[in-house]
Order: sequence, then structure tokens, then C-alpha cells
Amino acid sequence: MSNQRQASSASQVPHLSPAELSYLYSSLSLPKTPIRPDGRSPTQFRPLTAETNILPGTNGSARIGFADGTQAIVGVKAEVEKTVLANETLARNDGGAGLDRGEQEGSAAVGGHGSWVQMSIEIPGFRDDDALPVFLSEMMRESLVGAVGTREASDMAGGLKERLVINKRWHWRLYIDVLLLSQPLAYPLPLLSLTTHLALLSTKLPKRKSQGEEDPFFDDDWAVAEYLYPRPSLSSGKTNSTGSSFVRPPVTLLVISVGENIIFDPNREEIAVADAVLAISITRDSEAGTLKLLSIRTVDPPSRLTQPGVPNSENVSMLGAVAPTEDVAVLNPATGEEEVPGVWRPRRGGVKRSVIAEMVKTALKKGGVGEEVLEGLEGVEVS
Amino acid sequence: MMADRRRINGPPGGTRPAVFASNLQSGTSATDRAQRQRQPSELRKIFLKTGLIPTASGSSYLEFEPSASLAAARANPKSLIPPSSALKLACTVHGPKPLPRSAAFSPNLVLTTHIKYAPFAARQRKGHIRDASERDLGVHLETALRGAIIAERWPKSGLDITITILEAEDDRWWGSAPDSHDASWGMMNVLAGCITAASAAIADAHIDCLDLVAGGVAALVSDDSASTSTVAPKLMLDTDPAEHRSILSACVVAYMPARDEITELWLKGDSSKASLEDGDDRTGHEALIDGAVDAARGAHAVLAEAVRESLLKTVGQA
Amino acid sequence: MGIIILPPVVEDILPRHDESDDSMSVDSDEDVEMSGVRAPKRARIGNQTVSTGVVTPGEVVTDDPQWMRGHGTYMTPLSTSIIATVAGTVHKTNKLLSVHPLRARYTPEIGDLVVGRIVEVQSKRWKVDVAAPLLAQLPLSAINLPGGILRRRTSSDELQIRTFFSEGDLVVAEVQSVHQDGSASLHTRSLKYGKLRNGVFLAVTGTGGSGASSSTTKGGVGAGSLRPGAGSGMGGVVRSRRQVWTVSTHNGGGEVDVILGVNGYIWISKHADGASAASSTTDHVSITRMEEMVSTSIYSSQNDEIPPQTRREIARLAQCIQVLVQGGIRVDEETVMGAYEASLQVDLEVGDDEDEDEETRHEGREYLEGAKSRRILELVVQQVK
Repeated sequence: MSNQRQASSASQVPHLSPAELSYLYSSLSLPKTPIRPDGRSPTQFRPLTAETNILPGTNGSARIGFADGTQAIVGVKAEVEKTVLANETLARNDGGAGLDRGEQEGSAAVGGHGSWVQMSIEIPGFRDDDALPVFLSEMMRESLVGAVGTREASDMAGGLKERLVINKRWHWRLYIDVLLLSQPLAYPLPLLSLTTHLALLSTKLPKRKSQGEEDPFFDDDWAVAEYLYPRPSLSSGKTNSTGSSFVRPPVTLLVISVGENIIFDPNREEIAVADAVLAISITRDSEAGTLKLLSIRTVDPPSRLTQPGVPNSENVSMLGAVAPTEDVAVLNPATGEEEVPGVWRPRRGGVKRSVIAEMVKTALKKGGVGEEVLEGLEGVEVS
Repeated sequence: MMADRRRINGPPGGTRPAVFASNLQSGTSATDRAQRQRQPSELRKIFLKTGLIPTASGSSYLEFEPSASLAAARANPKSLIPPSSALKLACTVHGPKPLPRSAAFSPNLVLTTHIKYAPFAARQRKGHIRDASERDLGVHLETALRGAIIAERWPKSGLDITITILEAEDDRWWGSAPDSHDASWGMMNVLAGCITAASAAIADAHIDCLDLVAGGVAALVSDDSASTSTVAPKLMLDTDPAEHRSILSACVVAYMPARDEITELWLKGDSSKASLEDGDDRTGHEALIDGAVDAARGAHAVLAEAVRESLLKTVGQA
Repeated sequence: MGIIILPPVVEDILPRHDESDDSMSVDSDEDVEMSGVRAPKRARIGNQTVSTGVVTPGEVVTDDPQWMRGHGTYMTPLSTSIIATVAGTVHKTNKLLSVHPLRARYTPEIGDLVVGRIVEVQSKRWKVDVAAPLLAQLPLSAINLPGGILRRRTSSDELQIRTFFSEGDLVVAEVQSVHQDGSASLHTRSLKYGKLRNGVFLAVTGTGGSGASSSTTKGGVGAGSLRPGAGSGMGGVVRSRRQVWTVSTHNGGGEVDVILGVNGYIWISKHADGASAASSTTDHVSITRMEEMVSTSIYSSQNDEIPPQTRREIARLAQCIQVLVQGGIRVDEETVMGAYEASLQVDLEVGDDEDEDEETRHEGREYLEGAKSRRILELVVQQVK
């Protein structure tokens, strides 16, 4: 584990030999039909088991497990908190005759604040201030609170933070605690994001009995508690049209590009040879019914830190065994660098804009990966 | 939550200087908000100089030109509070130096990045311990630089990059409600500055890199008042968050012009409602990325000139 | 189908009645006293099955003084009873009584063929991860140095030690000796051994390598040991007669080598024919220089050209082994080949069902999971029986 820690980057560098890396890269970059080590298609996810509401002490919770035994548990807890208004806002409300004063006041009450959502990620083997947990929690929190809604429909649409407003003086504070149960075997982002999504879907807040600007008090009957993200009524059945009209929490997909191929949900070995790694957060657009992009972040591809392979022609321990003209360097179209086939070279440089556009398009397109994932998650029974 | 486990901390946050009502009056009306006076595609001027810190193997200092409104406010103060702030940061590079004995063998240069806000950098005082956002920035910077340096030229060695932010960009206009656009847009400008400065410092330290990697920011802003909210947001380069009522989406890239490649991309916010010119069939996020790349090209010009300047100076001295 | 989300499965925790006979069947007839000892204890826990052959740590295996204490047991100085220290099955060799854990880490034994990964390079040796509690060492003096027949190592060899094996490289080697502390010393002084390339690596968890072979493989294939969860070598590589073999694959995949390291590390690669590998590098190889040619390519980290068909079959073999491990079946030549044939057969069956839709048929159809993997397991169990 020491080498994982030493690499301060957000990505971990698995120990793979240059020959393995070269084999993986050339398999995954086969034009049109990449061969993944586990035989999946490029857009296929690993099958997972999911359940929700497993923790009675929380407002919402979920567990997801992969077949390889890695599991994540997410618990969501909500607390009522007094809204602290900034001095400036208060001062302005007291006096002053700004034209748009009323409007601004309104936005302060309805807007909500990003700091009301607190997220912590616990990964065994990492300190809570290591780069990986910090990076992951910032990445997931950002898309969660960042989903800016349109002003008109501030009641239901928009990001999570607007839903947490009770009235001008009170709000909910949401604690999202993510627990990975074992040392991650792969980059844990997809697992954590899917689990958080499910936990938020199952989150319920007590029904409010007070009205308007009163100090809030709530119905203590848990059965009438309301979902944080309203669900389609069970009687109408789960059809596509009803499902898409509700706002859903975002989900963050991990996408890699290898050669000309774009691959979703990569495992540890696949990510080790990726040319580029992107974390793409998407959600359903409540108006258009399509998917929209919330955030993109590049993740440092571990392939930059790998050990290079030595071509036979330069291998000291094989001197004289090969004819010197044997290895002809070939231009790799994806990286723009000369490479001897069969010899691993650590990736250098960045990613082309066209590749990024293609990756986002694959995730967002109608009937594409993003929709399938969101539909799959929607289908999970929320008890 | 992270806290220093070794000492007893003072109360979080800081004290504010007394603000007198007479000053406040003039400062709070929305008309006093700084207005962007640049064209949408016009960048702020950048001051960049390398080799200022003699003990480091490479260093640089970067400053953004203060916005026009800030300059005006300084010349003719109407309020005690400056309307906006400008980015100032210093970057030092130490290394390449041998890795500690305990470290595992690495065939590549091992990069570590530290970004720290000076306690006085922002309007809210920052503690001395790095918080989550500073660590997050460090990861972003590392990703940006690792794609640019040729790490296998320096096996078994380490490179430390430390950036101190002396003055940070605001996330919003100080007079706006704290939630009007509460995402940390200023952080993206800071990151772009960090990338450009670190790239200059690396060049100053004579570390092999593929190209000078430069940072650029573009954002979708809607400046109109609420009554005309139907107007679609516009794309602007190098935005100062204090000058805009509402930023819908922003993007920062680290870009290498010579290879036309992006080593780091960070985009957030809703970019689906961008209003582009007719005949422009790019989607919002593509336009945003292209805008940020254009901004980075501008920064690259400054960067290349600054590095050349310091080189010529050393050549002249020799 | 992009994503499959399944409801959680409640595992069947009822004791398997039929197994109890299998694992102890060899011994049970001469084991009257012993089962007599354990029976009341079992009954007290409320478990209805008697003498399953499974003991837990602290449980008295026997207090008959005629037995000798073996691995996985201890004796208190004042009593004659033998007490288990690990959870596992009871094994008897003549009068030696030992308990084999169901899931054990690998303990090296002399002569084991292992696959290992270099984790550290020192001045005269490499440290190799072989999934054992301690890192194994591979001294520079225990490899075939390039440039001809066995020669003494020189200081220049020491200086360029990383050109032979470097961090992360995979090697196939043999355990030469085992030290007092249980760590192994490896050697690669054979043309069969050396650096691995042209393939994929697979680490099998839950390796029951240690000693488990004695009952399951030496005496032929015990029928019971094939049942999931049964037998002592539960889902792992076991020591067997052949750890390395060549598969001639279907679908135009050509020949593929499989190396099952006793330590649970597995390497599946394109078949490297010694002569052809040599002739690909130079045109004329005299028969006397042959050995030299082959031995130099041991240290290459350049992959040969591998056609997609071969890569596909390599991926299929790797998945077959994963399916076996997840099904709790031991991994050896017989089961791997069985699973491989079964996967081809399953593919045919599935192909018949969905032949009308070409699109869906290709989408991820090479991924073996769920129903496919269950079917393969069924077929393997049938075939090997």
C-alpha cells in the first residue's frame, strides 16, 4: 500500500509490467471492437447488487456491491438548522432603497446554500485528508449542489440545495456519509456515485406541519414523510414518461479513452492504460426530458506513471540477438507519438478536444449509457 | 472535518473591520456592482515574471490586471470595501531532488503540488491548515502539469511545486447575497493562474516538458436583471466573478497549444442553455471548452514571452 | 444492456448435508472414536449434523493419545487432547492429525511452480510477490544470464540488474528452497521460466494451495471435491501434475498457453513456441545456437503481434477461470478446459435463442456472468464427473 500512498495523485498506480500494459492497451484500442479483459462491451457496466433503506437510523441509505466483493454503503442524515444570513443581506433588508431589494431577498430565502450539504468519504487505507477521498467528495458534492435550477420552478426543480430550504430562517442540513467497505480494487468513483444516488433517492424528510415563517415542527409519523426527491406514484406505474418528469440526483460516470475507443466503467487494469480519464456528472433535465451535463473533471491517468517497456532492439540483455532493423516505430494516431508495436510507452500529454466531445456525447446521447444507468437505478425497489 | 490535531485553534473565521452606515449606503445598491468593461473575448492583462526567488530551482510570480472598476475605486474611493480583487500568486519549484530512501523506486519524476492560500488572501480569513478546497486545487494542478512534463527524463527523483496565493479572486461580488451564485467560481480563476505560473516556474527550473501549459477560463454568464431572464446566457472569456450577477457555468482548462491537447479540464454548472451565434452548432459545453482554450492561448503568449525574457536576461548577463 | 442491477441475494446458510459424507468419507469408517468425541459438542451448538469433518479454532479434535499433532492444531502440556487452531477440515495421514484451513494463503514448498511479480530490486537480488505472507527472493545468481550457457555473474550484471527484471515485471519461476521463516527462494534456471509477456495476468483469491492437494489430487479426482464449497481446496489453484499446458483454442484463436502458478497467480498468453520465437527474431538459427536464442528472449518486454481472435480466446479463458473461482471450484487443467468447452457450448445455446437480432447478440455477449456462468458451472460439474 505504500506505493499507493506515495503517489499523491487522485489516481492509484497499479503495479503492472510493461508487457501487460502493452497487451491491454493494444486489446482495448482495437478499432471499433475493443476486447476488454473481462469480455464486456465498451458501454457495459459490471453487474451489481443494490438495496436501499438498509440503515434504520438514517433518513435514507443504500448499499451497492460488485461481484468482486467491493461494497459501498451510504447513509444520509438530515438535521434542522437555523439559517445564518450574512451581515450584508441583513443590513440591506433593514434599510436602503435598492430597486431589486425584494427580489434579492427572495433569492436568499429560496436559493439555499451549498455548504448545507456535507459529504464525507471513508476509504480504508486512506486518511480522510488524502488526495483521493478529498478529490472524490469534492467531485460528487459539486455536481450534487451545483445543479442550478431555473428560477421560476424553484419549488421542485434545480439542485439539491434549494430543496433544503424550510423557510427564510430554517433549513435542512444534509450529511452524506459514504463508506467503502474494503480497499478499492478499482477507481471507486462509479461505485460511490451510484450508491449515493440510490441513497438520495430513498431519502425521506419528515412532513412539515408548520406553515410559512413559523418555527418549523414536523409530523412524527414516519409513514407520511416525504421523499427528498419525489417519486412517481406507485399506482401510475413506472413508465418512462413519468420517470423522466421528476428531478433526479446526478450520477457521475467514469469514462476512459483508449486509442479511438471510449470505454465506460473501467476496471483497475483498464484505467491503467487509459489515454484520458474523465469523470462526467449527468442528470435528467426536468424540462426537456433529456440528459444534461453537470460537470466534467479530468482524472490523472495512471498510465503516465507507468514503467516503460524496452524494445528488443534497445534491450541490453538481448544485444546481438535481434537484427537491428527489426523494430520499426509506427505513429500512434491517438497519441501522435512514434511507438514500436508491442512495447509499452507511458502516456504523455493531454487529450484532444474532439475526444472529450465524443466522450460526453456517448454519455449524454438519447438511449445512451447515461439513460440506461439512470433507468437502471430508477428500477431499484425503494422500500 | 479536518482540524489541526496538534494545537488549539482560535475561533474559526475572523473579525470584520467596523463598517459605518454612511459608507455602507453607497456600497450596497446593486448599481455599484463592478461592471465588466472588457469585450466578451478580451482577457485581462497578466504580469508574469520568473526567477524571483533565488533559493528555489525555479520560481515565478503572477498577477492579473485589476479590473477597471477596481482601479477606479482605488483612485476615487466611494466605499471602504474594494469592489473586486485581483489574483496574485507566487510559485516555487524545488528539485529535481532524490526521493527519500523509504520511497519506492519510480522510473519517473514524482510530482507533488501544494497550493496554499495566504491567510489574508480572501475576504474570509483562511486558516494555516490546508482545507479541502486547497487540496482539491492541488490535485487539479498536478493533473495539469503531469501531462506536460516528460517524467521519464528524471527517474528516481522528486519535484515539489508550492504555490502561495497572496490575493485570490472573489467567488462573487461581496455585496451579493452569499448564495446568489454560491459555487466557488473564483477558485477556477485561481486554478488557471496556478497552472500558468507553475508552468513558468517549471520552465525556469529547466525541467523537460512537452510544451508550456497554460490555464484559461471561460464562463456562461447572465448579467441581465430578473425581469429579462429570458435572455440566454452569453459566453465570456476570463471572467471576474465579482463583475457578474450570475454565472451559470464555467470551465477551466490546462492547454498545450503546440499539441492542441488539454491536460486538465474542469467544467461545472449548467451549460445547456448557451446562446451561440447563428450557424454555430456546438453544444454549450463544447463552446465553453473552446472558449477556455482560447483564453489559455492568450495566457500562453504571455507565458512564452515571460520565459523568453528571463532567458535573454541570463544570456545577457553571461 | 448497459447495466444490470440485481436485488441482493440471501445466501443459503443451511448446512449442506450431503457434503459431510464426502469430505470425511475416506476416514469415517476408521474414525469411530474421533467422531464420538466431537458429536456432543456439535449437538450442543444446535447443529443437527454430526461429524462434518469441519472444526473451529479451540475445538477439541480428539483426546485420544494415539494421534500425533500436525499443522493447524496444538496441545496443552498437561493433557493429551489435540485442539484445532484454524477453522477447516480434519485430515489424517497415518497417525498424524492435521487441520487444513478452507481458505489459506500460499505457503511455498520446494519445487512449486509459481508466478510472481517483482516488487523491489536490490543490488544482487529481486524481491518477488508470490502471494505468500513474506516476499520471496530471486537472487541474481539464480537466473540464466544472457549471452550463452551458464556463466558466472559479473559486476556488470549487478549494475544492469534492472534490465533483466524490473519493478512490476511478472516472472514464472520455481521455488528452490524455503527458509526457516517460511519465505521462499526462487530460481529461473530453465528455459521454461523467465519474464512473462504476450498475455494477461489473473490473481485468484482464496487459494487453497497449501497441502490441500494431498487428498484431492494425489488420489485422483474425488467426486465430492467438485461440488461448490466442498473439499479442502476450495476454489483455487491446487498442486497438480501439470501446471502449464497449451490450449488449442476455437474461433481461430490459435494456441494459447496457460500457466497456473501454485500460488494462485495465473498467466494466460499466446503460445510461444521456442523455435518460432527464435526464428522470428533472426532468419537462420543453427541448432546449436537455439538455446541461446531462446534464452535471450526471456528478458524481452516487447509483445509479439497477437491477432484479435487470440486475444478474444485469452479473455474467454480468463473469464472461465473467474467463473470457476466464483463458483468455488478448484482450478486445474481439467476444470479449466471443462469450463472453456462449456463456455463455447453456452455461447452456441445462447446464439440459437437470439439469432434474429444481430445487434443485441454482439453487445457484450462475450461477458460471462449471471445465467451464463451458472450454466458453465453446471456443465463443468457434469463433465468432470
